[in-house]
Amino acid sequence: MNVTSKLLLSTTALLLAGAIPAAAAWQPQKPIEFVATAGPGGGTDNLARAVQNIITKYKLTDQPVVVVNKGGGSGAEGYVYAKASAGDPYKVIFGTSNAWQQPLVSKVAFNYTDLTPIAAMAQDEFLLWVKQDAPYKTAGDFLKAAAATEFKVGGAQSKDTDEVLTRMIEKAARVKFTYIPFKSGAEVAVQLAGGHIDAHVNNPSESLGQWRGSTQRPLCAFSPKRLPQGPKVTATEGWSDVPTCVEQGLAISQYEQPRTVWLPGKVSPEQAAFYVDLMKKVQATPEWKDYIEKTSQVNTFLTGAALDDFIKQDLEHVKQVAGEQGWLVK
Amino acid sequence: MISRRALEIAAAALTGIFGVVVIVSSIDNGIGWSSAGVDAGTFPFLTGIIIVLGSLYNMGQGALGRGSLAIVRVAVTASELHRLAGLFVPAAIFVAVIPIVGMYLASAGYVFAVLALPKRQSVVRALVIAVVTPLVLYVVFERMFQVSLPHGALGAALGF
Amino acid sequence: MENLQSLLHGFTIAITVPHLTLMVIGVLLGILVGVLPGLGAPNGVSLLLPLTFGMQPVSAIILLSSMYWGALFGGSVTSILFNIPGEPSSVATTFDGYPMARDGRPTTALATAFGSAAFGALVGVILITFLASWVAQVALAFGPPEYFAVYFLAFASFVGMGGAAPIKTVVALAIGFAIAAIGIDTVSGSVRLTMGIDELVKGVSFVVAVMGLFGIGELLIAVEEEFQARAVSSRVDWKEVFRALGRLPRHGIALLRSAAIGCWMGITPGGPTAASFMSYGIAKRFSRNGARFGTGEAEGIVAPETADHAAGTSALLPMLSLGIPGSATAAVMMGGLMIWGLNPGPMLFVDQKDFVWGLIASMYVGNIVAVVLVLLTVPVFAALMRIPFAVIAPLIVIICVVGAYSVSNSYLDVVLMLGFGVVGYLFKKLHYPLAPLVLAIVIGDKAEDAFRQAMLMSKGSLGIFFANRLVTTLVLAAMALLLLPLALHVVRLLRKPDEAAHEKVRII
Repeated sequence: MNVTSKLLLSTTALLLAGAIPAAAAWQPQKPIEFVATAGPGGGTDNLARAVQNIITKYKLTDQPVVVVNKGGGSGAEGYVYAKASAGDPYKVIFGTSNAWQQPLVSKVAFNYTDLTPIAAMAQDEFLLWVKQDAPYKTAGDFLKAAAATEFKVGGAQSKDTDEVLTRMIEKAARVKFTYIPFKSGAEVAVQLAGGHIDAHVNNPSESLGQWRGSTQRPLCAFSPKRLPQGPKVTATEGWSDVPTCVEQGLAISQYEQPRTVWLPGKVSPEQAAFYVDLMKKVQATPEWKDYIEKTSQVNTFLTGAALDDFIKQDLEHVKQVAGEQGWLVK
Repeated sequence: MISRRALEIAAAALTGIFGVVVIVSSIDNGIGWSSAGVDAGTFPFLTGIIIVLGSLYNMGQGALGRGSLAIVRVAVTASELHRLAGLFVPAAIFVAVIPIVGMYLASAGYVFAVLALPKRQSVVRALVIAVVTPLVLYVVFERMFQVSLPHGALGAALGF
Repeated sequence: MENLQSLLHGFTIAITVPHLTLMVIGVLLGILVGVLPGLGAPNGVSLLLPLTFGMQPVSAIILLSSMYWGALFGGSVTSILFNIPGEPSSVATTFDGYPMARDGRPTTALATAFGSAAFGALVGVILITFLASWVAQVALAFGPPEYFAVYFLAFASFVGMGGAAPIKTVVALAIGFAIAAIGIDTVSGSVRLTMGIDELVKGVSFVVAVMGLFGIGELLIAVEEEFQARAVSSRVDWKEVFRALGRLPRHGIALLRSAAIGCWMGITPGGPTAASFMSYGIAKRFSRNGARFGTGEAEGIVAPETADHAAGTSALLPMLSLGIPGSATAAVMMGGLMIWGLNPGPMLFVDQKDFVWGLIASMYVGNIVAVVLVLLTVPVFAALMRIPFAVIAPLIVIICVVGAYSVSNSYLDVVLMLGFGVVGYLFKKLHYPLAPLVLAIVIGDKAEDAFRQAMLMSKGSLGIFFANRLVTTLVLAAMALLLLPLALHVVRLLRKPDEAAHEKVRII
C-alpha cells in the first residue's frame, strides 16, 4: 500500500468516525476474553462468570465472551498477563483491591498503573466472627479477652485485605493477635469451626453456611451502617441484626473489598468507554440483583474520577498500615 | 556417542546449578525465624543446600564410575543419538514457531514434516493427517471448550 | 436408618429419564475432557456451569457430578496408553498401567483400572451415605499441625520404597520441593524463586511438569530404544474386558485397603493425588508381588485407581457439609451451589434434603452409568495402541504441547513442558526416581504451609506435633512407615549380604 492510498483510507475512516454517534465509536470485532484473577469457584471467578452469563443472555455484544482463570500467585498471574497485553482491548480483567495492594507488599512485576480502570462493581463487607460457643456476646467482650491472652486470628492470604483489617483492629483496640494466613476464606471458616483459631474477619458469603449451621457467629460488621435487610440467615437473625463495630466500641467505621474490572494499559478512551457502558448495562439487569443478593455483597458502581479517588484513598490507607507493619517492599 | 560417565556428570551439574539458583534466590526472601514465623526463604534455602550437596555426591559417584549403572559404559550410542535428535529437534522447532505462525499452522507443518520427509508414510497420508490434526484441535478446543489456542503473530496480522 | 429412607427418596429423584439422560451426557463429556490432558474436569464443569443456571439445582448438580465421574475415569486412559497422566491423581496409575499396556495388554490394563476405580467410588459413596455427619466432625478436627502430619504420612509411605540410589532420590525429592515453592508464598505473601521470569509468579503447574517428565520423557526413551509396542491383536476383545473384571476379586485385600486409604485421604483434605500415591506405596510394601511392582502388575493398577476414586468421591463430602472443596473441581461446583442459591455448610443436609439426597443417589447411578460407558470404550482406546509409533509420536507431542498451553493459556508453560521432557529423559536414563519428584511438586508447598502455620500457632515449638492424640498418632505412624524399610533393609543385609545387594528393582 502506498502513502497516498493510506492517507485516503485514514481520511475516509475519520469521516466515517465523525458520522457515527459517539456511543458507537468502538465495537469489539473479535471474541472477548474475561480474565478472572482467581481460581475457579472463587468470588472473583463467580463475578466474571455472572457478568459473562448476563452479557450472553441479553446479547449485550455480538462477540462471544470467554472466561479464563489466571489466579496463580494470589491473582498476580492475571495482572502480569494484563500488563503483557498492553493495548489489547479484548482482555477484560476481573480483580479486587489486590491490583493496587499487592504491588505494595510483594515484589510482583506489575502495578495498577499498568492497567486501565473500568469500574468497581460490587463491594464485599467484612465482619468479625467467633466460634458459636465462644463466651463473647459483643465485640467489646472479645477485645477485653484479647487484651489478656494473645488470640489466634485467621485470614485468607498474607499481607492482603484480611491481614490489613486484623492489624487495624490490633491498633484500634490496643491488643495483639497472632495472624495465621490460609489459602482461602472457606478454609479459614472451617478452621474456626474446628476451634483451631479464635476469630476471623470473613466476608458474609464465606461464612454464611457456617453461620446457618451454628458453628460460628458474627460479632459486628465493619460498615458505617448496618447491612441491608435480607432474608433471615438463622431462625432468628439476618445480616441487618448484626451491629456495626462502631456501635460496639471498635472504632473502625468502614472496611470493604471492591470487585474491580480493568482493561490492559494503553487502550483508547473509546475502548474503555465501551466497557464502562457494557458494565452499566449488566448492572441494570434483574440477574445482577439476584447475583448480588445471593452472594451477600453490596451493589455499587464506581467509574472514572470517583474510582480513581477511591483507589487513591485506599492506597494511602494500606500504605500507612503496611508501613507500620514493615511490609513495604524496597 | 555419549559415555555414561559424561551423562552422569552433566545431569549432576544440571541439578547442582538449579540448586545454586534456588539458594541465591531464596536468600532474598529471608532465612530463619522472625515475628511472622518461619521466613519464606528458609525451606527453599534448605532444599537448595540439599540439592547442591546431593549433586556433588552424584557427580563424584558418576566420575568415579560407581553406582547402580556401573556396568553400563555407553549411555547413548551414535545411532540412538540420531534417533533422539530426529524426535526432539522437530518438536523443538514446532514449539519455537508457535508464537510466529500459531498453533494450527505449526502443528500441521510439524506433522507433515515428521511423517512425509523421512518417507515413513506416503505423502498423501501425511497430508491428510496434517490437515485433520489442526482441524480436530480447532473443533475441540476453540469451539467446544472455548480454549483459544495461540494464533501467532501471523494470525494477529491477518486479524484473527 | 433415617439415611436409608432419605437415600431411597433420593433414588426416586435421580432415576428419571431426564436425569439419566443428563448423566449420560455428563459422563461422555467428562470422559472427553479427562482423556485430553490439559483439559480437566474443572474446565468442563466451569463451562457447563452457566448452562445450568436455568435448571433445577438438583438436575444441574447431577449433570456436573456425572461429568466429574467421567473425567475421573477418562484421566486414567492416557496414563495407561501413553504414560501421560491427564490428571495429577492418575500419575501413580502410570507406574504399572503403562508397562502392562506396552506389554500388549492394554485392554486388561484399562479394564482393571476402571473396575477397581468403580469399586473405590462405590465405597466412597457408601461412606457418604451412612457416615456423613460423623465424617464432617472428623474433618473439623484437622488444624495446621494435623494437616502437616497427613502430608508427612503420605510422603513417608511413598518415599524410600523405590530401588533408586538414596542420594538420587533425595535430590529428586528436593528439586520437587523447590519447584513447588515457586510463585507466591501463602504464609508470607512474598514472591519466591521466580529467577527473573515475571510470569513464574503463578508457580509451575503440576500438569505441565508431568506431561514433560512422563509424556515427552517416555517418548524420548521409547524412540531411543527403537521401541515397538508388542502387537495388540486386531480384533476387538470384549471377553478380555470381562476376564479382567473377573480377576479383580483376587485382589480383595488390596481393593479394601486402597479404598480405606482413599476415603481417609479424601476426608482429611490430603486429596486424591496423595491418596493414590500413598496407596501405591503401601501396596508395594505389603503385597506378595511387591518386588514386581512397576513391571505391569495388576495390583499396581488396582491400588492407585481404587484410592483415587474413593478419595475423589469422598472429597465431595467436605464440600457439601463444610464448604471446603477437596479438589479443584469441587471448588467449581461449590461456586455453582452459591449461584444456584444454595449455601454449602452444615445446614445443607437439613435445609435441602431433596438436593443432597438426590445428589448422593445420583452418585450411585452416575457411577454405574460411567463405568458401563467407559468399559464400552475400552476396545476403542486399546485400538489406539495399534497406530504405528511413527504416527503416534508427533501426535503425542502435539497433545502435550496443547495440553501444557491450555492449563493457563501460557506459552511459557509449553517451553517449560519441553524442558521437563529433557529432564524426564535424563532422569529416567540415569535412574533418578520420578515419583518422589512428582509427589513433592504436588503436596510439597501444602506441607510447607501447614508446617509454618503450625509454627506460627505454637510460636516455634515443635511440641505442637505431639499436642493431642490425633496428631501424635499420625506423626508416629509416619515415622514408623519411614523407618520400617530401613530397618528391614539392615536386617536383610545382615542376613544375606549378597542377595540384598543384587536385588533387582525397577525405578519408578
